[in-house]
Amino acid sequence: MRKTYLISLCFLFFLQTALAQQKNIKLISCNFQQATIAQFAADLESKSSAHFYYDPTQFDSLRVTLQITEQPLESILYAAFKNTNYHYAITSSQQVFITKGRQIKTDLAPGFITIATASNTQTSAVADYTDDKDKNVPDATTENKLYEIGTRTNTIKPGNATLSGYVRDIKSGEAVVGASIYVANTKTGVATDQFGYFTITLPRGRHTLNVRGLGMRDTRRQTVLYNDGKLIIEMQEQVNSLKEVKISADKVANVRSVELGVTRLDIKNIKQIPTAFGETDVLKVILTLPGVTSVGEATTGFNVRGGSADENLILLNGATIYNPAHFFGFFAAFNPDIVKDIELYKSSIPEKFGGRLSSVLEVTNREGNKKIFTGSAGIGLLTSRINVEGPIIKDKTSFIFGARTTYSNWLLNLLPDAYKHSSASFYDVNLDISHQINDKNNIYLSSYISNDKFKLNSDTTYSYSNKSVSLKWKHNYSTKLFSLISGGFDRYQYDINSTANPVNGYDLAFNINQSNFKADFTYYLNNKHTIDFGLNSILYNINPGTFEPLGAQSLVLPQVVAPEQALESALYLGDKYDVSTNFSISAGVRFNIYNYLGPQTVDNYAPNLPREPGNVLDSTAFSKGHIINTYAAPDIRLSARYLLNDNLSVKAGYNTLHQYIHLLSNSTSISPTDVYKLSDPNIKPESGDQVSLGLFQNAKQNTIEMSVEVYYKRLRNYLDYKSGAVLLLNQHIEQDVINTKGKAYGAEFLLKKTAGKLNGWISYTYSRTFLKQDDPNAGELINEGNWYPANYDKPHSFNFTGNYRFTHRYSVSLDVAYSTGRPITLPIAKYEYAGSERVFYSDRNAYRIPDYFRSDFSINIEGNHRVHQKTHNSWTVGVYNLTGRQNAYSTFFTEQSGVISGYKLSIFASPIPFINYNIRF
Amino acid sequence: MRNWKTSIFILILFTGCKKLYNPPTITAPNSYLVVEGVVNSGSDTTIIKLSHTVNIASNITLNPVNGAVLTVESDQSAVYALSETQIGVYKAYGLNLDKNRKYRLRIKTANEEYLSDFVPVENSPPIDSVNFAIRSDGLNIYSNTHDANNNTKYYRWDYQETWIIHSQFDSFFKSNGDTVLARDYTTDQIYTCWTSTASSTIILNSSAKLASDVIVNNPIIFIPSSSEKLSSKYSILVKQYALTGEAYSFWQNLKKNTEQLGSIFDAQPSQINGNIHSTTNPSEPVIGYVSVGSVASARIFIANQQLPAWADTPNDPTCKLDTFYYAYTPKGSTIPINQVDQHINYNKGATYPEIPVQAISPPGSPPIAYTASEPSCVDCTLRGTNKQPSFWK
Repeated sequence: MRKTYLISLCFLFFLQTALAQQKNIKLISCNFQQATIAQFAADLESKSSAHFYYDPTQFDSLRVTLQITEQPLESILYAAFKNTNYHYAITSSQQVFITKGRQIKTDLAPGFITIATASNTQTSAVADYTDDKDKNVPDATTENKLYEIGTRTNTIKPGNATLSGYVRDIKSGEAVVGASIYVANTKTGVATDQFGYFTITLPRGRHTLNVRGLGMRDTRRQTVLYNDGKLIIEMQEQVNSLKEVKISADKVANVRSVELGVTRLDIKNIKQIPTAFGETDVLKVILTLPGVTSVGEATTGFNVRGGSADENLILLNGATIYNPAHFFGFFAAFNPDIVKDIELYKSSIPEKFGGRLSSVLEVTNREGNKKIFTGSAGIGLLTSRINVEGPIIKDKTSFIFGARTTYSNWLLNLLPDAYKHSSASFYDVNLDISHQINDKNNIYLSSYISNDKFKLNSDTTYSYSNKSVSLKWKHNYSTKLFSLISGGFDRYQYDINSTANPVNGYDLAFNINQSNFKADFTYYLNNKHTIDFGLNSILYNINPGTFEPLGAQSLVLPQVVAPEQALESALYLGDKYDVSTNFSISAGVRFNIYNYLGPQTVDNYAPNLPREPGNVLDSTAFSKGHIINTYAAPDIRLSARYLLNDNLSVKAGYNTLHQYIHLLSNSTSISPTDVYKLSDPNIKPESGDQVSLGLFQNAKQNTIEMSVEVYYKRLRNYLDYKSGAVLLLNQHIEQDVINTKGKAYGAEFLLKKTAGKLNGWISYTYSRTFLKQDDPNAGELINEGNWYPANYDKPHSFNFTGNYRFTHRYSVSLDVAYSTGRPITLPIAKYEYAGSERVFYSDRNAYRIPDYFRSDFSINIEGNHRVHQKTHNSWTVGVYNLTGRQNAYSTFFTEQSGVISGYKLSIFASPIPFINYNIRF
Repeated sequence: MRNWKTSIFILILFTGCKKLYNPPTITAPNSYLVVEGVVNSGSDTTIIKLSHTVNIASNITLNPVNGAVLTVESDQSAVYALSETQIGVYKAYGLNLDKNRKYRLRIKTANEEYLSDFVPVENSPPIDSVNFAIRSDGLNIYSNTHDANNNTKYYRWDYQETWIIHSQFDSFFKSNGDTVLARDYTTDQIYTCWTSTASSTIILNSSAKLASDVIVNNPIIFIPSSSEKLSSKYSILVKQYALTGEAYSFWQNLKKNTEQLGSIFDAQPSQINGNIHSTTNPSEPVIGYVSVGSVASARIFIANQQLPAWADTPNDPTCKLDTFYYAYTPKGSTIPINQVDQHINYNKGATYPEIPVQAISPPGSPPIAYTASEPSCVDCTLRGTNKQPSFWK
């Protein structure tokens, strides 16, 4: 680290040398070893025309050790007295005054002779950091240096000024997202955005900025704020603290932020959580957070605070990912080497997001290294991955490329003979490019593709794929206003085909396409108000299903469900208002407008009658582009925080949400053949609202974070299905669905330790989720119209995730999870029918499967820590499901040879050892 | 389209395990009426079975309902009565119903009355063929049919399998309890028997998505190569029923609910709604769907000679042939023991009598001993009948 420090110093010198050379100043070489001030002055006087003036008594403890070649005098002085209490001043006649404690001004103060309005005159040799000289924005790398922001004035004017800039990684030049900048004397703080950008309004004068970033060494900057200006802060990676768990970049954010129910996890935290097969999984980790459950292991979806799995908006660099899993849920479709962090919004969902009822999961990829080419590779039991990144134009343009593939076929070859000819493969590829046009304009190109292919026994081939590409342009209008404008295209598709029986040879295809446009603006009005506003628009294009003959002998009748189109738009405005130092409010409104578009033929049903074939009055055909119907509704987003003291706050929030796209699924878990349906005149949008209240406390210098949150949530027009509903290739899906109401409530307790040898978190959640279907027009009632628990209703859920670091090279992780078994519908009676015993089922979800318990363990071994070696490597060895508990994945009752038996299916039912090898270059 | 689920299921089984699971004893508050059968519109017998559901934990599975009064009614008020021929089984012979009318079933039990909806007569087109395909691990049996009028679209099948079984040992003698006699091989042979079983799965298929009403290679059953069914001669009678769209959904739902649950990608269990309702309490669940129509059937025979060598069932290793002497003198003893009485003649002290197979006699002398084995290795009537079925050829 010391070396990096030196490197950055040299970098500074280089800058100054360059400046000096332009003025044809004489260059000096020198070599001091523990030199006294007298030796120092004498040597320099002999090599230049300068004369030194100083008080020897003040310098008796100074020893100068410095080796410099060919530098101007000023650089040598700068290097010698940097980070000390000594100051130097050089007059135009080469007189050098060295002082202790205060600097001698070599010019008369402005206005000393003339009473000029000289506040804008440059009065010092110190570089000017103002907005006007963007190209010279200094990289502030030293903690003790005093940075002067804005045009220096003799007297500091009263009032406020705005400081903005970027926080970057000194090594890679990458933006540090979510770094907190906290000013102790005014008790104000901000966090950097996704580009590492920050803006803070402070009273003019001297401030110490305390900067903290995820995985970065804490640092501080001393500034004198004269006027609005910019500062680039470079941070060093925290090399020493490998595998340290940090939940949030901002240690004070737990208490101080206005938001509730927001969690950010850095990839380093994610990587230390043991998973089956040892593959780092960015989705599995969120299941360890309070309020997040799933119906079982190896399932695609997750449930947030009682919402169904399709109520989560999953964004990868802003692109919507419809199927975030490989291999039917065994792996997350995100490459852990590319992902930088994930952020889950459970309650306070920012106004700029909408369109889903329960949560937003934002997965953000790293930016490529802007300085050097690096890469990494990993080898696991089932997958391998590689990533390469580096500058295209140094310090301006960089790329990052990641790819992952599987060789899981060996696993399939171990299956019984009947499956010998099966094959499974998947891959995903990321390519992101970021380019800095100038200090005010940045563009970012992200692209992603994931593909899964599964072939069973050489007949049925199943494949699915996510594709997305997006372009973002970030523009700073001023230090107070910036915008992010982006456009993109996302696609999800699947295809199933079989020629096992030539007469029935078929090809079934589904796809969903969406084109997005987003314009997001942030305006830092003053230090009390931060205003967000913007416009989002999504054009959907869904092909709900085509079923076509495959092969010459096939008699399959082509069947096409008419494509659907819709435009979902939203305008939003939000204000974060700091009413006082203790009280802050964030209030926003998002106005949604949804248009269902032609061409389409819509059936009209008799009012107040069940939607059944017999009740179709007629149907109306609409032409292309015709607006068939419009749903418009405002979403309200409110949250407030009151600081009871420095370490304790109480927060409250209320929000409403609407969802216009529905996943049709009547299985327990999301199945890959599920289709998406847009709201239309017969299928209303889902809506929901949530009220939440939380108490947040930090202890032990913010290294321990505690929180308690309670919530109550309502859902309306949630889709459920009639008995025997057919969801695929259904031309009249509204006849098979029924609207359901939902309610969910719960209390979440979280205790986190963010620093030290032992770190991690413990969470406990009590939550309930109920659904009710009492629509008299539905034709049939589930459980006689009473409330019944949802599939993912797990009242008690406990999680421990911990990491203990023995040395910098060895650490162990332990993960423990317990939850109540999920509800199931059990048979309550049996009878004989069609030659077999058969069962009659209870009310829906009247019983539960046995409780779930699992513990995982892993050891992380880092290679040596020498900075200069060609490759760095690390090993992860562990065991998933340490106790080998046979958790019920599902239970079912099925007929075999005419007798009904109950079965409990467990996956990962024994301890599963894994090993992973990673290499960085 | 279901297959990928199966394979994921297999993969899960591979990484995990499937175990028997018995949930805490669940008792249903009531038992519900179950109605099974097809009203045969042709000249064949109409058979309707009535029963009540029983608790899951119950040892019995069939709880027949006797003493009910069943009638088939047309939408023009014609009434045909059924009579109870055995407990819970109600029959009518050769109803010969009008194809253009609709019919319903009325059930009067001791306490309540039930009515089915009126259903049209759906006559099944004939089965074009039943054929089989040999695989490396067994035999697939398929059926084919078509409806030239493109009218039927929804089909259901069930079947009755019959096959020859052989005892391990061919017995030429029998004991009458007191003495061993030669067996009358024409009427009392116990080496070759016929055994039967009926289908226990619901077989459905539909041509609704096809351009013409054709069902090709509809899988009926898979017989593994190791099955005894194929060891000598095998026959299957496939019956084909035509269904309405509604009836098809009922059967499909029943199949989904009782045969296809397990993977979490499968639909959740749901209520099974038949077409029979209580007249007094419409919300009372009644299980069953009454269809009206004729049935098509076809039978094929498959002899072992038509199959590859794999179809030879290995001998049962637990079957051993013992030899019992009339006079056997154990070592170190001088008193001979009558092993035939001791082990074969059940009236003379054989506690676990074995059945004699062959006689051991020195040339020109009466037998001095018999080979014998356990009944399960010798007597095929324990598992079937030694009377050849009338249809057998």
